[in-house]
Amino acid sequence: MRESYAATTSRYGVVLLLMVLYLFPLFYLVNVAMKTQFEYLADPVALAKSIRLSNFAEAWKLGNFADYLWNSIFYTTSATVLTLIVSLIAAFPISRGYVRFSGFFYTFFLISLFLPNPLVPQFALMNELGLYNTQIGYILLRTSGTGIAFLLIVGYVKSISRELDEAAAIDGCGYIRYLFTILLPLTKPVLATGAILTAIQTWNDIILPVIYLSDPGLAPVTKGLFAFRGQYLNNWPMLACGIIIVAAPLILLYAFVQRYIVDGALAGALKA
Amino acid sequence: MRDTEVYAMYPFGKGMARHLPFLLLMIPTALYVLFGFGPSLVTVVFSFTDATGIPGTEWHFIGWENYRTFFTASNADDQMKAIGRSLYFAFAVVLIQNAVALFVAVLLNRKLKGDVFYRATLFLPVVLGVTVSGLIWQLMFNPMGGPVQRILKMFGTSSNFFGSYEVAFDLIIFVQIWMYMGYSMTIFLAGLQSIPRDLYEAGYIDGAKGWTAFRHITYPMIAPAVTVNMLLSIIGALQTFDIIYVLTGGKFETSTLAWNVFAAAFGSTSADYGRASAIGMIQFVFVLIFAVTAMVYFRKREVEL
Repeated sequence: MRESYAATTSRYGVVLLLMVLYLFPLFYLVNVAMKTQFEYLADPVALAKSIRLSNFAEAWKLGNFADYLWNSIFYTTSATVLTLIVSLIAAFPISRGYVRFSGFFYTFFLISLFLPNPLVPQFALMNELGLYNTQIGYILLRTSGTGIAFLLIVGYVKSISRELDEAAAIDGCGYIRYLFTILLPLTKPVLATGAILTAIQTWNDIILPVIYLSDPGLAPVTKGLFAFRGQYLNNWPMLACGIIIVAAPLILLYAFVQRYIVDGALAGALKA
Repeated sequence: MRDTEVYAMYPFGKGMARHLPFLLLMIPTALYVLFGFGPSLVTVVFSFTDATGIPGTEWHFIGWENYRTFFTASNADDQMKAIGRSLYFAFAVVLIQNAVALFVAVLLNRKLKGDVFYRATLFLPVVLGVTVSGLIWQLMFNPMGGPVQRILKMFGTSSNFFGSYEVAFDLIIFVQIWMYMGYSMTIFLAGLQSIPRDLYEAGYIDGAKGWTAFRHITYPMIAPAVTVNMLLSIIGALQTFDIIYVLTGGKFETSTLAWNVFAAAFGSTSADYGRASAIGMIQFVFVLIFAVTAMVYFRKREVEL
């Protein structure tokens, strides 16, 4: 079934159009970041005259990005690790049927997708518990054993033989040790995907930090960048540098881990 | 029946040890009930009270007052407009995003030079997140000589973009689709790649090619992916408001129900928990109606096909 020349050409044409739509904004962002404010005001669209990396140093200082990045790294790693642990201890027994009413738990966990937005009572509760404006409170909110990582593990555990559980048990391996020393390495492919998706969600979260982390010293990069925008609203080269400082680590990391996300990993969504 | 519903033989010991999986399961369950499921349910209760965010004030049950206010207060017209915008947003995003995503997925499912790079690029906005993506498009749509304004000028026109009552909301929809098209496309691609090639060859012999092959082979085979994508995008589109927070802050007639919940509870001028909860409940009714309708419809199609 060979394609005609015209069909191939039009296919590449559409792809080219898409790439422009997705890559041009990034290219333009970099271009603006290299300009002086004067250059930008004179002609925002023209190519930058030189590669001015000093802009980044200035934005880095003005925007307190070191603090924000550190906060983001702390929140993202804590929430991701905790999420993987609680997802594993939720998903394994439910997938295997080692707890009573496992079908009920599965549905019960998924139903939150449809339920009313919990924001308001959740805020009242966090206040009552004294968790408002605390790092631990925010990490707790971002830790969930019932999200995408849970779904991926439930699907994946089905492909691991039950006989392995039995063999390990006969050799005297306990439940917790089995989960974390034998099962965990076996579920690496979906754990990687679950970790990346959880990390992306946490890193990019802006609404919960706006609500719960009012202290600027606790803000993650998203909130920090947004505040930076408020301060330098008319200094677009500065702002573009800020955006790149926040985006560059993500793009770099993504280049290494994208195969875990893009290649068939989301097929987990179909199995579940 | 799901095979998760059996209570299976448990190899890791008897007696107290038998309860270990259940005890451990209580940790994620507690987190879920405390911070997710519980607060969701309590929203119903809050919606019948005059609770506020002002510390030390008492709250009372006031019956349907919050709902009555929603539909009859002097700004009821604005609320109706917000409902209209929520539905418009949901329909536009669900239809366009999925149609484009399916088209692109079919396109990229064939061998192309550099296909891995294309797929990765289309997924990139999900990685960049709403703040970075939003600010990048503010830069693109900068009314003071940004690239898009430049193009409009060539046609002798101009716009205020995110500061314009006419187009701000449509631009938000555009950015939302730009952000999540790659996500839907990835799910479609996963579905497409599970279709065995010989199915097309068999179809080809029977004269099924082009549109016919898509209609009678591809589409039925990716029915589960369609269901997942439709459900996720309907729920997502009706509940999302972070993109509005970043791009317009609800100004220029861009508020939706989901935004109004946030604005009523945590906005700079309002901390009205009762009213916010009532709006949240009204939003929930829409989510329920559309999600259940879509689920029943697409599941039925999956069976028929």
